[in-house]
Amino acid sequence: MGDALVWLIWFVAALGCLGSGIAVISFSNPFYSAIALIGNLASLAVLYLLLSAEFLAAAQVLVYAGAVMVMFLFVIAYIGRDADAPFVGGPSWQAIAAVIAAGAILVDVVVAIGLKAGGRLSDEADIGGAFGGPADVGQVFLTDHLLAFEITSIVLLVAAVGGVILGSEARKRAAAQ
Amino acid sequence: MGPDVSWYIVLSAFLFTIGAMGVLLRRSPLIVLLSLEIMLNSANLALIGFARHLGQTDGQVFALAVMAVAASEVVVGLGLIVALHRSDVSLDVDKLTTLRG
Amino acid sequence: MIAAAWICLFSPLASATLITLLGTRVPRKATGYIATFSVLVSFVAALTTFFLLLGDSPEERSHPSTLWTWLTAGDFQVGLDILVDPLSVLMMLIVSGVGFLIVGYSIGYMDGSDEERRFFAYMSLFVFSMLLLVQAGDLLLLLAGWGLVGLCSYFLIGYDQHRPAAIAAAKKAFIMNAFGDATMALALFILIQRVGTLQYGAVFEDVDQIGGWAMTLIALGLLGGAVAKSAQIPLHTWLPDAMEGPTPVSALIHAATMVTAGVYMLVRLNPIFEQAASVQDIAAGIGALTLLMAGLIALVQTDIKRVIAYSTMSQIGYMFLAAGIASYSNAMFHLMTHAFFKALLFLAAGIIIHSLLAEQDMRRMGGLRKLLPKTYTATLIGALALTGIPPFAGFFSKDPIIASALDAGLYGQILWVAGIVGAFLTALYTFRMIFIVFWGEPSAYVREHFHAPKRDETHVWMAWTVGALAVLSTVGGWIQVPGLWHPLTTWLEPVAEPLVEPSGLQDLVTSVVAVAVAAIGIYLAWAMYAVGRIRVPDMPALQRLLEHKFYWDEAYDLAFYRPAVLIAQAFFRFIERPLIAGSIQGLTTGARVISGRTGEAQTGLLRTYVLALGAGAAVLALVFLAVRG
Repeated sequence: MGDALVWLIWFVAALGCLGSGIAVISFSNPFYSAIALIGNLASLAVLYLLLSAEFLAAAQVLVYAGAVMVMFLFVIAYIGRDADAPFVGGPSWQAIAAVIAAGAILVDVVVAIGLKAGGRLSDEADIGGAFGGPADVGQVFLTDHLLAFEITSIVLLVAAVGGVILGSEARKRAAAQ
Repeated sequence: MGPDVSWYIVLSAFLFTIGAMGVLLRRSPLIVLLSLEIMLNSANLALIGFARHLGQTDGQVFALAVMAVAASEVVVGLGLIVALHRSDVSLDVDKLTTLRG
Repeated sequence: MIAAAWICLFSPLASATLITLLGTRVPRKATGYIATFSVLVSFVAALTTFFLLLGDSPEERSHPSTLWTWLTAGDFQVGLDILVDPLSVLMMLIVSGVGFLIVGYSIGYMDGSDEERRFFAYMSLFVFSMLLLVQAGDLLLLLAGWGLVGLCSYFLIGYDQHRPAAIAAAKKAFIMNAFGDATMALALFILIQRVGTLQYGAVFEDVDQIGGWAMTLIALGLLGGAVAKSAQIPLHTWLPDAMEGPTPVSALIHAATMVTAGVYMLVRLNPIFEQAASVQDIAAGIGALTLLMAGLIALVQTDIKRVIAYSTMSQIGYMFLAAGIASYSNAMFHLMTHAFFKALLFLAAGIIIHSLLAEQDMRRMGGLRKLLPKTYTATLIGALALTGIPPFAGFFSKDPIIASALDAGLYGQILWVAGIVGAFLTALYTFRMIFIVFWGEPSAYVREHFHAPKRDETHVWMAWTVGALAVLSTVGGWIQVPGLWHPLTTWLEPVAEPLVEPSGLQDLVTSVVAVAVAAIGIYLAWAMYAVGRIRVPDMPALQRLLEHKFYWDEAYDLAFYRPAVLIAQAFFRFIERPLIAGSIQGLTTGARVISGRTGEAQTGLLRTYVLALGAGAAVLALVFLAVRG
């Protein structure tokens, strides 16, 4: 029973991901695309839970769905609708090449996984109950990968400063007009 | 016991492809950014899947860092789009060719 | 003693470096004093070395010393070695002594020139190079000094950089000397191959084992270098042109020291030349031919400096003659006295030229005897010394050379005749110059442009250095009187033993005949140019031949210059432009085209870049799969 439930949840979440993904790139109205992305993020959060990454699932919902998407919606509202055709005008060589390239990557990964990477994907590791919890993640992040932690914080700071600068420049230019 | 990690990886690959298509084929930079988010998330999924498979939290830590960086990148990208919009530059990726060499 | 020799060598180099580094931070005159002082230091050091060497017994008077090893190639080693022995000390004294007087004279002569610092730096460098040449303890360092003096000569002849004639003359001197350098280098190659070393002592010991054509080639190559440096036939045409340089340069380089380097080499390397007797005979013959030819050409020269230049060529012919018949001490003695009176003549001519605002054409001069009395006396002393009138210096040095020829077989007797005829010519052209320039009434030009030399402290240098040289030209000959006492020959014996010894009778007869023909020459010059009693003979063909200097320049122009120009032009048209320039241009054009085409990949479109990323990633992934799977 538990096994079947897991599979069911997995399929629903997977379909949600794929469907919303296709929706994001298909809608012409950017507002709808953003909403579809929120759905994508939510489905992914479910998948994370299935993979015993509770902390990350929560972070995903909080950071992505809560903050990033809100930013997106703000900007979409500010810019207004810019209706454009979903795809480039007619299949140009770039479009064809793009499809081929993306397809190639897809085929590669699928084949690799299909071959089960030489049999190394068969055994799952045993994990304890604290795996994926905030304590576990926090400990690894702050001891083994302290440098990454610090650098990431600097990146966030730079982004914040950059955002302010971009905003003030735009204001100056708008005031000059 | 539920799908093993290979299912997640294949799903991640599909999501990546969908995102890549979006980046390559859409003309509005806003949609391109959204597709970029899909790609980043697909990578996150793969990372977390492997973390579960190997029993090491390092993958999750990496996925957390990716999330933070993606958020920063969205800030800057959106800032750029707003600035473009304010300068009355057309928001069409095919028309933004200032870096042409 | 060795330390004194090294100080003598490096003092002028230090001054040259100092003047160069100080640049415009010192006043111009100061560089003159720096240079003069450094050469004085050299002279004092040379004197010290001389007196210390006197303390050794004659067999021991040979002290090589090496500062460091310069290059090593297999078994062959050469270093910065000098040799302190009688011959080198004699040359050190001459070079630094006469050099000191001339550089001091230049303080007055070059006053007012714009670039005195460059002049004195080059002069110091030259004195260093000449000292390096004479102090060298091995043949390679000799060659190094050889090339360096040629370089300094080029610098100093072309001192007046903006005059095309000076630049052309400098180039001509350098190129002809380079030819001599090349033959010398070839000789050194053969020598290294046969003997394995270039140090004087070792070479002289083993030189009798070479023999055959190799020996002749070595001697010929070295003779080629000597001929070029000393302006003998056939490499003599650069010397008259070198008079384009300032007068002190002509005095120091082209009279007293550099041009005598060839003679020094013939004497220094006498073991090598004695092994190739035919080459020694050639050297003597070249000397005789040159002294006659130069004497003849000097008879029709109108430029005062060129008369003295041809006179130098002629006198060096005497020295070559002496070295060729192995009368080495006489060659060196004449080198010394010639340095005194030739430098005297040049410096006195410099005073004349200065007083006439740089006019050098004798036809415009005349009557300067009353206007420049002291200069007249000095020039007269120099002329008497040059002509070989006792008791002045030339008599004691030139006549023994001619006399020694009598002891050298039939060939020597022919040389004797050449020497006597040369003495006649010397008297004729020298006193022609004296009478034209000094006697008679002042010409119109002189009356217009003459101004007496200033009497300030720089021009005092000109006066007393000329005076010192006049004294030396008078007493310098008394060092060696044939038949009475000959300390110079004894001094040089360990290094260069003469192979010919004229008898007392031969000496006496030669001296009498030489002085007699000189007196005839002076009388003829007086009759023709001073009082006009005899008209100058009118032989237009001969006159033209002499004025064109026996057409040597024209012959070289036809034989070497024109073919070289033609070849160069052919190369330019058929090789340089299409192949080399074309290929370089092709490279640049190609690079530009390629970069242009490649630049088209920078479309500026986001889409293209992402596509490139994706395509690249796909390819990598496939490769990874293929390799790993």
